[in-house]
Amino acid sequence: MSIEDEMRQFVEEWDKEGLKAMCKSLIDKGEASPEELLKFIGNIMKFIGEQFENEEIFLPDLIGAADTVKDTIDEILDPAIRKSGGKKETLGKVIIGTVESDVHSIGKDLVGSFLFANGFEVFNLGVEVTADEFISKAEEVGAQVIGLSSLLTMSMDFQRQVIEELINRGLRDKYIVIVGGAPTSEDWAEKIGADGWADDAIEAVELINNLITK
Amino acid sequence: MKLKHIEVFSKDEIQEIHSASIQLLTDVGMKIDAQDARNLLKENGAEVDTESKFVKFPEALIQEKLKKVPDHFKLHGPDGHFNFEINTKDTVFATIGTPVKIYDPLQKKGIRKTLFSDTIQQIKIVDSLENILCSHIDVWPNDISYITIHVHCIYQWAKNTKKPYGLGCLGKLASTDMMKMTSMIVGGEEELIKRPRLVGFMNPTSPLHLPLIMTNGFAVFTKYKQPTIIAPEALAGSSAPVTLAGLLTQTNAEILGSIVLSQIYNSGAPVFYGTVSHITDMRTGNSAMGSPEMGLITAGIAQLARYYNIPSRGPGGGTDSKVLDMQNGIERLQTLMLAAQAGVNYITCAGTYEATLVEALELLVIDDELAGMVQRAVEGINVNEDTIGLDVIKKVTTSEKKGVNFLAERHTRDHMKSELYFPKLLDRSRRTTWYKKGAKDIITRAREKVDQILQAHKPNELPEDLDSKLLNFIKNVESRTFDDYKKAEGLRVSKITLPDGIEIKEDDK
Repeated sequence: MSIEDEMRQFVEEWDKEGLKAMCKSLIDKGEASPEELLKFIGNIMKFIGEQFENEEIFLPDLIGAADTVKDTIDEILDPAIRKSGGKKETLGKVIIGTVESDVHSIGKDLVGSFLFANGFEVFNLGVEVTADEFISKAEEVGAQVIGLSSLLTMSMDFQRQVIEELINRGLRDKYIVIVGGAPTSEDWAEKIGADGWADDAIEAVELINNLITK
Repeated sequence: MKLKHIEVFSKDEIQEIHSASIQLLTDVGMKIDAQDARNLLKENGAEVDTESKFVKFPEALIQEKLKKVPDHFKLHGPDGHFNFEINTKDTVFATIGTPVKIYDPLQKKGIRKTLFSDTIQQIKIVDSLENILCSHIDVWPNDISYITIHVHCIYQWAKNTKKPYGLGCLGKLASTDMMKMTSMIVGGEEELIKRPRLVGFMNPTSPLHLPLIMTNGFAVFTKYKQPTIIAPEALAGSSAPVTLAGLLTQTNAEILGSIVLSQIYNSGAPVFYGTVSHITDMRTGNSAMGSPEMGLITAGIAQLARYYNIPSRGPGGGTDSKVLDMQNGIERLQTLMLAAQAGVNYITCAGTYEATLVEALELLVIDDELAGMVQRAVEGINVNEDTIGLDVIKKVTTSEKKGVNFLAERHTRDHMKSELYFPKLLDRSRRTTWYKKGAKDIITRAREKVDQILQAHKPNELPEDLDSKLLNFIKNVESRTFDDYKKAEGLRVSKITLPDGIEIKEDDK
């Protein structure tokens, strides 16, 4: 069985510890570089993503797999790459969070998982995130995209406030800002000056892919 | 626990109905056209009036024969691999209806006459569905001579499905053909008797009448121990009392009388305690199959069947709508859900509308979806330590990691397939995704599924010698005259009307 096949088994079984131990041992013995293993993980997630799109597997299968590989990336591969002075290649860095005064998280978490499964580096800031927190984190990690979620008509306006704060700081053109959440719409995105809007997690991945390659 | 059955009678009420039905059978009896059936009943102690053809059933005979009826049996597909059990506890879904028209949006009226090619397509589609386990001769082939339909259908059944098949008890001659031909397909009469392949359909004519041709066919089906559905189609207010209790008392007597006869024909022959009864619309005189009363009658039949410990059969998905509209959806789900909640063991009529006179292959695949949903609903809620999931609730609630919810929990993955119904035709996507996929309504999606199924369907490979034997058999049946048919059934009239409004004339051959 190839290294990639063996890793896929751990991922499909959601065996976090198994995957971590396997990757650590391969790196320690010099049998594989962390960059190579990251590439394998990318292939595995692409394969699982395709299975999901073809309706062969379900949401928990996809999210659980993403959750499994995330631990290995964060705890084993990232540190190893940093140690060797290498650079991690991803499709882009995306900051996501639910805006101030809103505690709804699942829709935004789904977007995060889908982006991660599709090869983006995702910084999920959680819920009730202030404009300053969004912008500071984006500046800190060098993100390309800021994703703002809101599930309440009452909290929607905080999406606008993040964009206004970016303008105030002279950073608006530096970032792609996208918005989403049940009460939002394409019209709303346009009205508040966002770069895009998506209806669900699958659409969000496509949207960001399109905006980033523009 | 599983959903509790809807019950329409108290214990006392069911006893009252039973006693009244017995009184009908002992005092009035049933009019039975077939002389051999009357003779057999007489030999078993029944009182026969030769002139009026009425047969009075002694209570002891009824009680004795009821004890012989099996409470479960299996149905098999042509090669015997595919099979399922019919019992008094579970629910399975099937077709039946005898539609003579089929949905065709290209026609001015939206329908056209059904053809043999439609009959074949219906068999292929049922073969590919998950929840509908048996097709019956539903789509009536108007382009085939009446007296040869059964052999053509059995041939197509053998070629196009892994599931069992149903046919009407269409007389002595046709039913014997069915048994002979099916025996060839399954490898002998013994195999056919041991592992039944065919479901027979027997309608007593309300009130209290067993017509000649059906009774002739019934005798053959029971002789071969192929399960028969005994299902009166009484209409409250015209062929039965308008009161539902009266209708159920009368039809109960019709079913019990037929059951007694079945067990005299062949002790232990499997039967379904069935119904297609509904009401007469008091404005038009039409039958109303989508009515809530039909659901109540079906529920009453299911409860009576449980009282006698015999598997029940009832219609579900009945509607009077003439188009694929909201009325169609409302009535089909209401009657289907009521039948399932009532605990009917064999729910039929998938794919039909306009009181089962019209078929839509689109509805057939939609009904497969409805059957799955309804099946899920009646399973109820499974409660145990594992399904309560205290550990996972604690774990997710107290997790300090961001973005943690139940979706990525093993508990979800382990239980989702047993807990949740996964729809295939119903659309749950967000508007943008739905729009991107063509903004299709369910009928369009169902049509696409029908096309996919028909395109992908692979026929069964019949051994060459069997194939030529079957084709030869069909040829022989085709060479019969209509007089042969009439003679075999003991008919003396030149023109008769069969159930379902099918008229036979001399020129049909």
